[in-house]
Amino acid sequence: MDSPAANAAFAKQIGVKFPLLSDMNHKMLTSYGILKNYDVEGEGYQWALRANLVIDKNGIIRHIEGGDTAVDPNTAVSVCLDLHKKQGTP
Amino acid sequence: MKRLLAVGLLFALAPAFTPVPANSQKNDEVAKLSLKVGDTAPDFTLLSDKWKTVKLSEFRGKKNVFLAVYVLAFTGG
Repeated sequence: MDSPAANAAFAKQIGVKFPLLSDMNHKMLTSYGILKNYDVEGEGYQWALRANLVIDKNGIIRHIEGGDTAVDPNTAVSVCLDLHKKQGTP
Repeated sequence: MKRLLAVGLLFALAPAFTPVPANSQKNDEVAKLSLKVGDTAPDFTLLSDKWKTVKLSEFRGKKNVFLAVYVLAFTGG
């Protein structure tokens, strides 16, 4: 299970400046419907579904995708850019 | 003025290694996104890699949020 400590090491390795969050009790994953069950040699495990979401300033979901396509962030990024354009710069 | 387009939040969404009920095998590969575009994103509070809590609703009225949910740290997917 990835802890904040594991994430901190990962953040350092890849040099990201935004927060890496841990959902160790699966509350967020469950409420978003992205907790996935896997069967490995008869044992059940729960992992996250790979997903990208864009949530606007009002808390409304503007983009959501799950599964293999979510490995590529480009669609979500273009949604962000459109959103940014519509909102304008204050 | 340059400003942040979105706050990127990556979730280290860990495998729990928690045994699940026997009927879970039927649910293999059927996890579905229960949310859709236009829905209000459920609020959450999670621990960051700096051991600080991050609450989605803190960004309300301030920033757009980009959530990238991934399974394991130190992986490319």
